[in-house]
Amino acid sequence: MSLDLVNASPAFILGIPLLFAFLTPLADRISKELRDAVFMIGLLLTVLFVAVMSYEVFTAEGWAYVFGAEETGEITRFSFFRIMFVADGFAALATITVAITALGAGIYSFAFMEGQSGMEKFYTLFLLTLAGVNGMILTADLFNLFVWFEVTSIASCGLVAFINYKGKSVEAALKYMFISVIGGLFLLLSIGLLYGEYGILNYFAIAESVNGGVVDRVALSIILVVLAMKASSVPMHMWAPDVYTESPGAVTPFIAITSLGSLFVLFRILFVVFRYSVSTAALGGLLIILGLLSMFVGVSMALKQSDVKRLIAYLSVSQIGYMLLAVGVGFSTLENGDYATFGALALEGGFFHMINDGVYKALLFLSAAAIVYSTGTRNLNKLGGLAHRMPYTTMFFLIGGLSIAGIPPLSGFSSKLLIYKSIYLYHPILAIIALVVSIITFALIGKVFYNAFLGPDLGLSKGEVPTTMLLAMGILTAVVVVFSLFPNYVVAEIVVPAVEALGVTA
Amino acid sequence: MNWKMSRVVRTVTDVMVVPIIVFGIYLIIHGHLTPGGGFQGGAVVASSTALLIIAYGSFRDYKKDFSSVESIGLTLFIFLAILGILLGATLFYNFGAGTGGLFGGRVAEGINPGYINTGGTVPLMNIMVGLEVTAALSLILWMMAKSSDSMEVEA
Amino acid sequence: MNSLFYALPFVMVAVLIIMGLYTVLFKRNLIKMIMGVAIIQNGVNLFLVSLAYREGYVAPIWTSAPDVDMVLPTPHALTLTSIVIGVATTALMLSFVIMLKKHYGTTDSHETRRCKE
Repeated sequence: MSLDLVNASPAFILGIPLLFAFLTPLADRISKELRDAVFMIGLLLTVLFVAVMSYEVFTAEGWAYVFGAEETGEITRFSFFRIMFVADGFAALATITVAITALGAGIYSFAFMEGQSGMEKFYTLFLLTLAGVNGMILTADLFNLFVWFEVTSIASCGLVAFINYKGKSVEAALKYMFISVIGGLFLLLSIGLLYGEYGILNYFAIAESVNGGVVDRVALSIILVVLAMKASSVPMHMWAPDVYTESPGAVTPFIAITSLGSLFVLFRILFVVFRYSVSTAALGGLLIILGLLSMFVGVSMALKQSDVKRLIAYLSVSQIGYMLLAVGVGFSTLENGDYATFGALALEGGFFHMINDGVYKALLFLSAAAIVYSTGTRNLNKLGGLAHRMPYTTMFFLIGGLSIAGIPPLSGFSSKLLIYKSIYLYHPILAIIALVVSIITFALIGKVFYNAFLGPDLGLSKGEVPTTMLLAMGILTAVVVVFSLFPNYVVAEIVVPAVEALGVTA
Repeated sequence: MNWKMSRVVRTVTDVMVVPIIVFGIYLIIHGHLTPGGGFQGGAVVASSTALLIIAYGSFRDYKKDFSSVESIGLTLFIFLAILGILLGATLFYNFGAGTGGLFGGRVAEGINPGYINTGGTVPLMNIMVGLEVTAALSLILWMMAKSSDSMEVEA
Repeated sequence: MNSLFYALPFVMVAVLIIMGLYTVLFKRNLIKMIMGVAIIQNGVNLFLVSLAYREGYVAPIWTSAPDVDMVLPTPHALTLTSIVIGVATTALMLSFVIMLKKHYGTTDSHETRRCKE
């Protein structure tokens, strides 16, 4: 029995936000500065342990962490009855995305939520959501997935309804809560079906004994629908525009992170548990259809919006479509032998797009929230000429906007190029639809940028936003710039281990 | 508006609150032997808060105290879990089972009349969770009673 | 006939879930919709507990137990966790309805729709 902090880093990635979430109300009874300091320490320690775990996974190999075992690093036949956390390349990619965005949103919330009462509850809910998303990504046990799914939905609904002096945010949170809770109950139903059939709850143990019978297909379809609902894919996306619009500005990228987290979990379940028992071509085709619908509906609904945050919310729904499309193409090539030619490339493009999307979507939402903070309005018909007084916010919005539209040399272009190259070889019409959607996205970003920032100075804004908000947006912009300048390095070091960790090799 | 109930109800409440709380603590402590444990016992103890609110119609402003007790309970729970890592094993490791000390007896095999001095960290975690659930459910009941104007807040 | 009798809990689960979904989808009052979610929670908990049952076995408690075999204890733990999560979500949804009534003045779900399309 030895103290091995690097081996225990998955447990710390989960345990540190939980511990500091409940230390914050205790620190609030002493003083406000102590509460802010405790929150920052918790956030920074989580990011530190994410870095430690990722470094160990990328230089050495991945491992599985078993709760309650006596020796660390030893898998016996009893280990599959305990809760297992798995630390491999895929978990490293996902937790890096979550950590960067949480750091940006956390630093942003210091100045944005200035003057709100009950801030210790905000920090508790924030750290609880962070723990829930990390738990969902890292776990390898089906019922533990359900527990963290529910923790995430409860905590994020509480965050959405936090500023409630008007009624709209409470209405959006209630809608989100109904869908999330009923979805969670159906997820529990499918977990019960799988447990009753196979008698064990671990992903790897089920993967060895699963056959393609009726019970498996029912459970798989329920899991697919519930996790795709949480990831805001069409046709289950109805909660996304309301929730993204009405949540406070510092919280919106965090709701986007819970969507990305459920998408990561969906891919892990599909690749690890159900890969050899169902027809991958059919399942990949279903993912491709969901992706096409999301891309198209998202960008079409965004065309007529005049509310800044609602427009970016619909754009985020369409970006989820890109990820579903790319991973669907990659998944369906696992059977028909085309994996070596373009399937691996599709998976790499999809995963690189996920980590890119987490960062630039957070940047877009935070700069839109900066517009709201500075002018007090979200209506694009009334805004104009903000670039005169807010130069930094303009630059940050420009970088995020060009990245989501896929303009070279920014990071969105690299991931979209990988996606176009691979899905063109699958079927050319898919690449043409993706390109058209990307062009419409660019037009929408141009419209928002022109309406909000360019033009004569209308005197709407009070000046540049406070420094901590600029610091948060600056951290996210620095990450986008690093991903833009060294895309082949990022793909080779971070994305390819994730693809290989899911058990797919050429 | 005075919502308090008649003198008979208030007197019976005064008498019954103590057995309810004792029964709740019994459920919490014996969680590793009989059905019960942290959540169930905590819910029973919180029902005494509901009884007091309904019978008296007024309650003091204990919001900060409930919140602090809840936070202390959960912080100690997660600290006990992380203590497993710091002692060299994994998260949630049961470092009290089988050794001497508090709750450290040897678990008897098979059917037994139930020895409370066993279990290691399990009864400790039950106590922490029971503390937290009591405070949290009492806080929820207090806030809902206040916001629906059926309770007045004493100074 | 015997197997139909032992399949009765699962039929009840299906009936409960369908009743709960009907209540959420077709009732206008928000409190009734929350009651529908509670009915679905009860149905799923019943499903988990009835998965564990084996004919003729007793409850899995070692303290002063009779000398026969015991049913599977894992779904009982899953059900307990699900009940606790159900309490938390019901409390939060009821708090949202209280705040919504204060702001909008109604609990009719057709009136509380001010986030535009």
